[in-house]
Amino acid sequence: MAVVFILLCYFQLSLALQYSDKFTEELVLKPLVQDQIYAHFQFTTIWNVDARSRDLFQSHLFSRALSEVIVRHNVQELHISLTAGLWNYETWGYPIVDSAPGAEVWVWFKDDTNDIDTNWKQLTNSLSGLLCASLNQIDNTNSINPDISFAPTGIISNTLNSSFVRYATLPREIVCTENLTPWKKLLPCDSKLGLATLLNAGPIHNTRYHSLSIHLRPICRNAQCDLASIELTQSVDLVYDFTILGTRNWSLRKLFGQGIMNSCPLADTSTIYVETTNNDTNIFHLSPTPDEYLISTRGGFSSQFAKYVVKERPMTIAASYADKQMYTVNIPPPLYANQYKIGYGQQKGGLVTKIYNNHWAPIDVVVLQNLPWYIPIYLHTLKIISNGTPMKPQKLIYKPGKMREKAHSLELMLRLPAKSTTSIKFYFDYVFLKWQEYPPDANHGFYIGSAIISGHLPLGRNYTGIPQDGSTYASSFNASRKNYFVQIRTEPIVITLPTPDFSMPYNVICLACTVVALAFGPLHNITTKRLVLKVNSDNLLTKLKKFGRSLFCSKKL
Amino acid sequence: MMIIPALYSILLILYVKCDSDTKALERFAENSKGHTNNWAVLVDTSRFWFNYRHVANVLSIYRSVKRLGIPDSQIILMIADDMACNPRNPRPATVFNNAKQHINVYGDDVEVDYRGYEVTVENFVRLLTGRLQPNTPRSKQLLTDEGSNILIYLTGHGGDGFLKFQDSEEITSQEMADAIEQMWQKQRYNEIFFMIDTCQAASMYERFYSPNILAVGSSLVGEDSLSHHVDPAIGVYIIDRYTFYALEFLESVAPNTKRTMGEFLQVCPKRDCISTVGVRKDLFRRNPFQVPITDFFGSFRPVKLLKNIHNETINVITSIEEPVETRSSFRYVEPLSF
Repeated sequence: MAVVFILLCYFQLSLALQYSDKFTEELVLKPLVQDQIYAHFQFTTIWNVDARSRDLFQSHLFSRALSEVIVRHNVQELHISLTAGLWNYETWGYPIVDSAPGAEVWVWFKDDTNDIDTNWKQLTNSLSGLLCASLNQIDNTNSINPDISFAPTGIISNTLNSSFVRYATLPREIVCTENLTPWKKLLPCDSKLGLATLLNAGPIHNTRYHSLSIHLRPICRNAQCDLASIELTQSVDLVYDFTILGTRNWSLRKLFGQGIMNSCPLADTSTIYVETTNNDTNIFHLSPTPDEYLISTRGGFSSQFAKYVVKERPMTIAASYADKQMYTVNIPPPLYANQYKIGYGQQKGGLVTKIYNNHWAPIDVVVLQNLPWYIPIYLHTLKIISNGTPMKPQKLIYKPGKMREKAHSLELMLRLPAKSTTSIKFYFDYVFLKWQEYPPDANHGFYIGSAIISGHLPLGRNYTGIPQDGSTYASSFNASRKNYFVQIRTEPIVITLPTPDFSMPYNVICLACTVVALAFGPLHNITTKRLVLKVNSDNLLTKLKKFGRSLFCSKKL
Repeated sequence: MMIIPALYSILLILYVKCDSDTKALERFAENSKGHTNNWAVLVDTSRFWFNYRHVANVLSIYRSVKRLGIPDSQIILMIADDMACNPRNPRPATVFNNAKQHINVYGDDVEVDYRGYEVTVENFVRLLTGRLQPNTPRSKQLLTDEGSNILIYLTGHGGDGFLKFQDSEEITSQEMADAIEQMWQKQRYNEIFFMIDTCQAASMYERFYSPNILAVGSSLVGEDSLSHHVDPAIGVYIIDRYTFYALEFLESVAPNTKRTMGEFLQVCPKRDCISTVGVRKDLFRRNPFQVPITDFFGSFRPVKLLKNIHNETINVITSIEEPVETRSSFRYVEPLSF
């Protein structure tokens, strides 16, 4: 049986039809001070529509799946990251996109949203389906709405009201191929063409740090900023270790398992930048020769980049280092932080956040602590000590949580003195959970999310971020501003809550049953049988008398 | 106001040729009466690294059904722990079926629908019976109907009459049977192929009382199911015997195969499995040897015969009216400024 079914479609595209969206692909490769290399993929889609006036379902390059989610839940700005590993600020400098270990979601809802908590719950559910992550575990019990730390990164037209922002992390969320697959499907060229072909699950998960993120925000369309566009930035941040790689001489093939076969025809530009700033100390030779060398001066520091334009033919980039390895002294960035747990026993614990300011002038920062409901903190134990002297925060916003309902959040605005180490310390209680609230692997411990330190850096040293008014990595070249905004994430903390022995109920049942069984027999006997006093007749004579009486007198009875 | 004129003209030619051999098709349609689509529910219920083999088991079946044509949107994959990106895995983002790394069952485009703590008895029963929270995403729903053939594959640690989930709770065989009866009453399936690889696997399907179920278990009541071999590089058992041989069989199956379920039920005889593979056929109306294996492991695509030839020109979309964009004064917010 042969059924031939031929469908011919002729599309006569009108010449006047023009798309109002633009897609840019970028890859930045930056050798870090130690034996690592940082790779940052950035896929930016800018769509010239105002989300208020047109429905977002008729999209061209923009992912329809995402537009459905943001329209349905009235989202103005959406920031998601899925990260494995910890960014080491002290030695690696600042990443282009900051993200906390595990899953991190923060959202600004539009200011006409009625029920934010419901929308937030539904949004995280939709996102969990979209990204194959357990984001549906985010609800009001583990989210906060910070007042200062998360201002909208995009444009707004009305006054700000921080009740429309929600932030949550799942520090234990794993990131693997199942997250990368749906993430890649949001790209216009999927992973079939262009730079996304380099995102192969095997090599990119064999790294010290890997992070997938999606950032969506409204931006200005023109210089007057009276029209809005939507910007969708999808990025992947990877830190490869030369020890894992086995060699310092990297190439696209070694890093990603293959070279680039072809460019994505839907992309306006497709560019690779290799930072060559440190090439005078750690000399490496790039092949093929770059199309161009760029020098970017930003905040008083200049960096050099080799630029490659991806064309419609296979290409690879290889770097070979000089045989002699130079070791340079690592100069830590102006601001970095870490977090650790103090205390012992299973009753009380404490948390210390240490913030280092290496700059010669004070830096203003905002510290955000996002604490789960099961560690009620004692605010009166809060101590801020900077270089040995106690210090008072300029502003303190504490939103106490509620058992099983709401997480605790603490925001502190601090002025870190010049060249200082500031530690923020407070104590909390460990709470007994109900037995069904323990996860299956309760003995692994419970997570406290990263603290977030937001601040403006006065210098551009180690700074790689994209300016607020820019969209692509290229817009960060020569983008000197009066200050540079960073949001540092510290380590998440694992605590061990008092965990009962879950075989205890079984033991209790066994013991109780034994006790009951032992008690039941005698009690039953005592309560159901009557005790009758029986005269013990001893001698033979009385027995004979009795016998005789019974023999002769029985009929009388 | 801006109008973008756009003219699409689509010329649609449908050319259908019918052979005289329509009878065969009708017979085919009759045989698969009621069966219109395929779904798979694949569940690994074990957490912790030493249960690596259970994840490899479930991924082996996932790989096979995906290869044989069930799309990801109709596969519900539940994995209780992360093995591929586990820090103990020396080969990140891979799960192999064999110490010699023959097949990476994890693949490059896996989509896990329920993972980690989400794999619970409650979620599993809710998924089967369709009684989910109102805002559950589509990828976490079993949207089957009365024409769906469902493959249910379970693996984990079991005992006589129960299967452990996450080392903290159990589903009993009665609960399982009742969930399936509820599915039948709600017309959520046409036929079910129930496959389970646990110790005392047969005990899980003994209580079934709903029609149209074919069940196979890796071991009888009183028997243990055994694992196949250990991979010294990762230090744990890598796959279970029954699933290893099932995968071996399925790897030899192509989407256009003529192999039958009857052949599949003979997989892993006692000399290979060490345990006895249990089969329950009494609830199933058809002879397994006449049921193509793709009725459960592949995806059925309905074919409609068009007997007329249509030549039609359709004009669609003449113009799109661009909405008026109101200008307003937008501004960026300086971080930490409020």
